[in-house]
Amino acid sequence: MKWHRILALMLKYWYITIARADRLFDVFYWPMIDLVVWGFASKFITELSEVNLLSVLLGAVILWTFLWRASQDMSVYVLEDFWSRNLYHLFSSPIKVSEHIIAIILFGLGRSLVTFVFLAILAFALYAFNIFSIPLFFLIIAIFLLSLLGWILGLVITGLIFRFGQRIQVLAWSVVWILQPFSCVFYPLSALPPWAAAIARVTPSTYVFENLRNILAQRPLDYGGLGYALIVEVIFLLLASWYLKKSFDAAKKSGLLATGN
Amino acid sequence: MFAIEVINLRKTYGKVVAVDDVSFKVKKGEIFGFLGVNGAGKTTTINMITGLLQKDSGTIKILNHDPEEAWEYVKNRINVSTAYYPLSDALTIRQNLRIYAKIYGVKNVEQKIMSLMQQFELSHLADRKVADLSSGERTRTALCKGLINDPEVLFLDECTVGLDPDIAEKTRRIIKNYQQKSGCTILFTSHYMYEVEELCDRIAFMDKGKIIKIATADKLKKAIKKHTIEITVKSRAEELKNFLMLEQMNILLAEDNTIIFEVTCERDKIYKILNKIFTKGFLLSDLHIKKPTLDDIFIKIARGRK
Repeated sequence: MKWHRILALMLKYWYITIARADRLFDVFYWPMIDLVVWGFASKFITELSEVNLLSVLLGAVILWTFLWRASQDMSVYVLEDFWSRNLYHLFSSPIKVSEHIIAIILFGLGRSLVTFVFLAILAFALYAFNIFSIPLFFLIIAIFLLSLLGWILGLVITGLIFRFGQRIQVLAWSVVWILQPFSCVFYPLSALPPWAAAIARVTPSTYVFENLRNILAQRPLDYGGLGYALIVEVIFLLLASWYLKKSFDAAKKSGLLATGN
Repeated sequence: MFAIEVINLRKTYGKVVAVDDVSFKVKKGEIFGFLGVNGAGKTTTINMITGLLQKDSGTIKILNHDPEEAWEYVKNRINVSTAYYPLSDALTIRQNLRIYAKIYGVKNVEQKIMSLMQQFELSHLADRKVADLSSGERTRTALCKGLINDPEVLFLDECTVGLDPDIAEKTRRIIKNYQQKSGCTILFTSHYMYEVEELCDRIAFMDKGKIIKIATADKLKKAIKKHTIEITVKSRAEELKNFLMLEQMNILLAEDNTIIFEVTCERDKIYKILNKIFTKGFLLSDLHIKKPTLDDIFIKIARGRK
C-alpha cells in the first residue's frame, strides 16, 4: 500500500466535492435540516412533558450523521467512478482496491468531522445544546463504532455494485435508513415491539444510542453492550472485506471493471 | 528482448469466445498495430494485458514479468489511453492530470503537466472541466494522461477517434517522436488503416477473437496481387471496354467515359496494358492507378474468413 496513491485519490474526491454542489449539500444542508426539524420538535415535546428530550434527540441526530455519512460516502464515491466511467483509468494504474477504499474512508471521515463541528455549533447556537457535555471518551467510542458500522455497510454495497453494476445504486442511499429504526436512534429499545426489539438487540448501533441515553440520564454505561458492538463489527468488517474482494474479482472476470456497465 | 509476450490467451463470456488462443510478441521499442472490426477482440486482449479483465487461460508477460505476480512493477511502467473512457468530467484537465501524476508518483508534477498540455495544445484549456471540452480535446486530455508517467509500454486503444485531421496528424507525430525519444513500446489499435500504416512497425489482424495475420504493412500489401486502374477517355469508351474484356481484365465499373478495372500487380503487366491502350489510339483525359491499401487487405482477409 502506498500513501502517495491514497493521498492522490483523496485529492480527487476533494476536487469532486468542491466541484459539485450536491456533495456540499451532504455535508451541511441535510444534516442541518435534520437538526432543525428534530430540535424544534423535541423543544416542543419538552415543553409539554417532564422529561428533557432535547439533549437526547439532538445528541442522537449528531451521532447518527457518522453512520449515515460513512455508509453513503463510500458507496456514492465508488458510484461516482462508475458514472464518470473512471474505473478504467483507475484500475489500469497501480491503484489497489484497498487503497481506493482507504482513500474514501479517510476522506469521508474528514467530511463527517466537518459536519459534526458544523452541527455542534448550530445545536449550541439554536438550542444551547453542548454536545461536549457528553464525555469525550464516549463521543470517541460512539463515533468509532458508528463510523465502523457505516464503512461495513459501505463495503457491502460497494461489493454489490462491483458484482451487479449500477442497477443496484438505489441501495447506496437506502440501506442505512433500513437500519435506522432498529438502531433505536430516537427511542429506547424498550419502546419497540418484541419482533423489532429482537432485531435491534443484534444491531451493534443500538448499544451506542442506548448508552447515549444512559449518559444523558446519568445512568451507568453498559460496557457489555459496547463490547458486543465492537466484536460484532470486527467480525462484520472481516466478512465485508472478504465479500468486496470476491466482488472485485468477479468484476474483473465479467468485464464490469473495464467497461463500467 | 520482448516488451509484451502473449501466449495462448483466451477469454470467454458464457458460450461466446471473445479471445481465442491468441499469441504474439512485441519487441522492445516497437510500435505494434492491432487491427480488426468491432468485436474482433482487440480491446478485450488489451484489457487482459493491462489487468482490467481476468483471462480464462494463457500467459501474459510485460517487460519480462508476469503482471499478476509483479503487479506493482508492471503497472508503474505501463499506461493506457483511449478515446472511449474520458477522465473525470467534473474535474478540470489540470486536476485530472495532477491526480494521475500523483498516483504514478511523478516528480515535478506541475512541470510535467504543463509540458504535456503544451505538446497537445491544451494549455489554454487547463482549468476547463472535461465535461465542457470537445471530443477531440477530451481525447488529447486522455493522451496526456497516457504519457504522464513516461511509460515503457503504452497501450493506445482507438486514441485518435474524434480528432480533426490537423490535430490527428500532430498527435501521430507526438506519439512517433515520443516513441523515438523514449524507446517506449506501443500497442496501438485504430480503425484508420492509414494511421496504422504510418505509425506501426508490424500489424496484427484480429478477427472473431483470433489473430489471423502478423506482418509489416509492406508484406501485407504484397499479399494483394491487384492494382485498380481508373481511366477516363475523351471518346470511344464502349470500344475501350470491349478491348479490356478481350484482354481479360476484370472490369469493376464502366460508366459514361470512365472505366475502372483491376490488373494483377506486376509492374510489367500494368505497363503493357497501358501501352496497348495508348497504341490503340485511345485519348485519355484522366488516369489513376490505385495501389492496394491496408483497407483492401483487411477486407480481403476478413471476407476470406467468412
